[in-house]
Amino acid sequence: MDFSLNEEQRGWQMEARKFAEDEIRPRSLERDQIEDPKETWDWDLIEKGSKLGFRTLAVPKDWGGPGADFVTQAIVMTELAKGDSAISKAFSQNWKWSHLIARSCTQDQKERFLRAFMADDRYLMGRGITEPNAGSDNRMPPPDAPKAGYRLKAERQGDEWVLNGEKCFIANGSVGSLFFVDARTNPEVNVRQGGTLFMVPKGTPGFRVGKVFNKRGWRFYQNAELIFENARIPHANIVGEVNGGVKASIGDTTGGDIFGDLELAANAVGVCDDAIGMAMEFARTHTRAGKPVMEHQIVQLKLNEMHALTEALRSYVMRVAWERDQGGPVGANAGLAMNLSTDIIQKVTRLNMDIHGAEGFLMNARVDKLVRDAMVWTHLAGDTVQRVKILKRLGGGGAAAPKSAGAH
Amino acid sequence: MFDLNLTSEQIEFRDTVRNFVQNEVKPAAILPARLEPFAKPLLSGLLVDASRMGLRTLSLSEAAGGAGADMLTTCIVLEELAAGDVDIAMTLGLTQGLAHALFDEAMTPEQRGTYASKFLDDDQYHLALVEADRGAGSGAGAGWRYHRNEEAEADPGPVAVKQSNGDLILNGTVAFVPNASIAKLFVVQARTDSRKTGRNGITTLLVQSGSAGLRVVDPSSASDGAGAQQMTRWHHGSGAAVHFENCRVPASNVAGKEGQSPLAAEALQIRAGLQIAAVNLGLGRCAYEAAVDYARIRIQGGRPIIEHQAIGTILADSAIKLELARNMLWKAAWAADNGATATDPRALELPLHTIARVYTAEAVLEVALGAAECFGAMGVMRDMPLQKYVHDAHVFLYGADHDSATKLEIGEALAGFQRQAAA
Repeated sequence: MDFSLNEEQRGWQMEARKFAEDEIRPRSLERDQIEDPKETWDWDLIEKGSKLGFRTLAVPKDWGGPGADFVTQAIVMTELAKGDSAISKAFSQNWKWSHLIARSCTQDQKERFLRAFMADDRYLMGRGITEPNAGSDNRMPPPDAPKAGYRLKAERQGDEWVLNGEKCFIANGSVGSLFFVDARTNPEVNVRQGGTLFMVPKGTPGFRVGKVFNKRGWRFYQNAELIFENARIPHANIVGEVNGGVKASIGDTTGGDIFGDLELAANAVGVCDDAIGMAMEFARTHTRAGKPVMEHQIVQLKLNEMHALTEALRSYVMRVAWERDQGGPVGANAGLAMNLSTDIIQKVTRLNMDIHGAEGFLMNARVDKLVRDAMVWTHLAGDTVQRVKILKRLGGGGAAAPKSAGAH
Repeated sequence: MFDLNLTSEQIEFRDTVRNFVQNEVKPAAILPARLEPFAKPLLSGLLVDASRMGLRTLSLSEAAGGAGADMLTTCIVLEELAAGDVDIAMTLGLTQGLAHALFDEAMTPEQRGTYASKFLDDDQYHLALVEADRGAGSGAGAGWRYHRNEEAEADPGPVAVKQSNGDLILNGTVAFVPNASIAKLFVVQARTDSRKTGRNGITTLLVQSGSAGLRVVDPSSASDGAGAQQMTRWHHGSGAAVHFENCRVPASNVAGKEGQSPLAAEALQIRAGLQIAAVNLGLGRCAYEAAVDYARIRIQGGRPIIEHQAIGTILADSAIKLELARNMLWKAAWAADNGATATDPRALELPLHTIARVYTAEAVLEVALGAAECFGAMGVMRDMPLQKYVHDAHVFLYGADHDSATKLEIGEALAGFQRQAAA
């Protein structure tokens, strides 16, 4: 076994660490504390990060990208998240769709969209799946309710498709240039058989952004409503085949299938590192009842737990990334690491809050921010559906029966 | 005898307050327009309505014009109020608790004559307790001194110096005083004997709002520039910074004996702690009820999500925790009401109020997080109440009234440790 990083991986790590320390962290709390959810974004920061390669990190070398491997991607996400979890996600969100384009798009689509993505420091991407009445049903479609899941309707008119409906909570919704949108092309069957994936560029007539959601955590990272009112999409913008939307986005042998899971787990490691740094610093520099905080056993035990959990998660994340880079099967581990990262990030950020405690009737704002950021893991990475669905990859297949599964 | 029956009076109190909360408080408390901004203004109109129902004077004795509620009834009512809005419950809880401590116990007949009718006749008359900042970096909680005696330490509270005519001159600043922004009477715990530490040498002074030398400063400006580390407000209810600058307090406004504050009595401290636990419990019930209601109507996986085992388990765990917290709280309240007459002395050996406080704070955070999980992404949206419940639960568990060392107070009691006060 070899746990060392190669020169290139180490280079990206140092680059990301420096960018996080010099550029992200100084703006992190300031952006977080802005009340209006539309105003938290910072294009200057995105452009600077883009010029260093963090926006396009996963684009293959053939297309002019760095073509970073999964170990590098995991390390960079962790390092950026040490500065700010939401800002790290704003960059890595694009990698997910770079994987998808590389895997599932035609040469023509790559020419039209991947080139534009590479050329513009402000070109960001997102995916529209969730709807007000379709959350968990998209993640784990219930076999006994074929109409469950997204309802956004697409009807063919000649060489075009007409989309009507609404998506909610869509990441990068208010700042994205291109969206992968799941629509129902056959409403009579379930989403696996009647769903199609469309590429919808910003500015498409009939397509607009609605409200930006006001979240408790990850405030920099914007989630918005996408509204489709007779939006006309050329047939050439379908990813994969008609009624093959689910197939187009899963079963990806280039690694796109594991990226979403790895992404949240790797990001969580960075937040845990940040929490540990804050807790250690606090314990060294403050006293309680005349003794340094560090010398109290109740604090020592908490610091021990924070370190142990974080290092265990880091090891798991790196193993998943490394295994994929070796071309080996990843199985359930990416998903399990993602589930586990929910428990660990929430535990570790709470222990940090526990160690700090209140200063009178005030709380360190960044300590609170980390707890708020960690809260988004629940519905993204660790709710009961996210856990039950992993069972399929563990050979539980049909055992992940919808009647025994939770949903939200 | 072991009796879990509530009296008809307690049930009537509970149901009246529950209706008020359901119909008036809750709709106002969870309006998106109130939830979305970072600051959540106190629902002051509803505070007046609650006062008219007798909730501002809940535990004040009937002889003094109050409802004469015992500790158990007070806990029942505060839980109901908090199930609508934690901030209203904290505000009323503080005023009615101090009213009992002052008018029924600490004040002289003359002081009652001066203040009682003003207090009773004015629905917007609130009380505030001004004392040295708790936990302001000093680790005030006794648990941090586990099995060690009190050490002499400078304490940052207000200081009063006696003049030749008996008046006291009050100086000092307290960064955050709950209820300060709405209080009309300040109950000040001032140090009058600098040779003593802790609660020894503290005198209780009554200072009316508007007195010369008293300044109340809104904390949003008061906490600016408090240091390099950016801080965020971390409390329930309302509050403000209080400054005394050569504030003259006549000798007639000393409550209790000089140097021996009547408010330092252990019984009063226990009551205050139980009240906070009751409000904390109400918060947990609020989150839990929201989750149950939503789980019955939200359909995913082909059926209402409450019919999925995973959600059923979360809700069952929440119900278990809330029932246990309430049982503990009521037992502790019963002990506070009956301590002197309890026939089983073993029932009182443990600090039941601390057990109730610690368990409730831990349980309610779990309940709030579970409830938020049932709401999926809606659980983290600021225009929805779930994220506020989670925030409020963190403030209880990691707040100024409670920290991770609190548990050690139970550990000391188990060992029979008696803390010797310094000097």
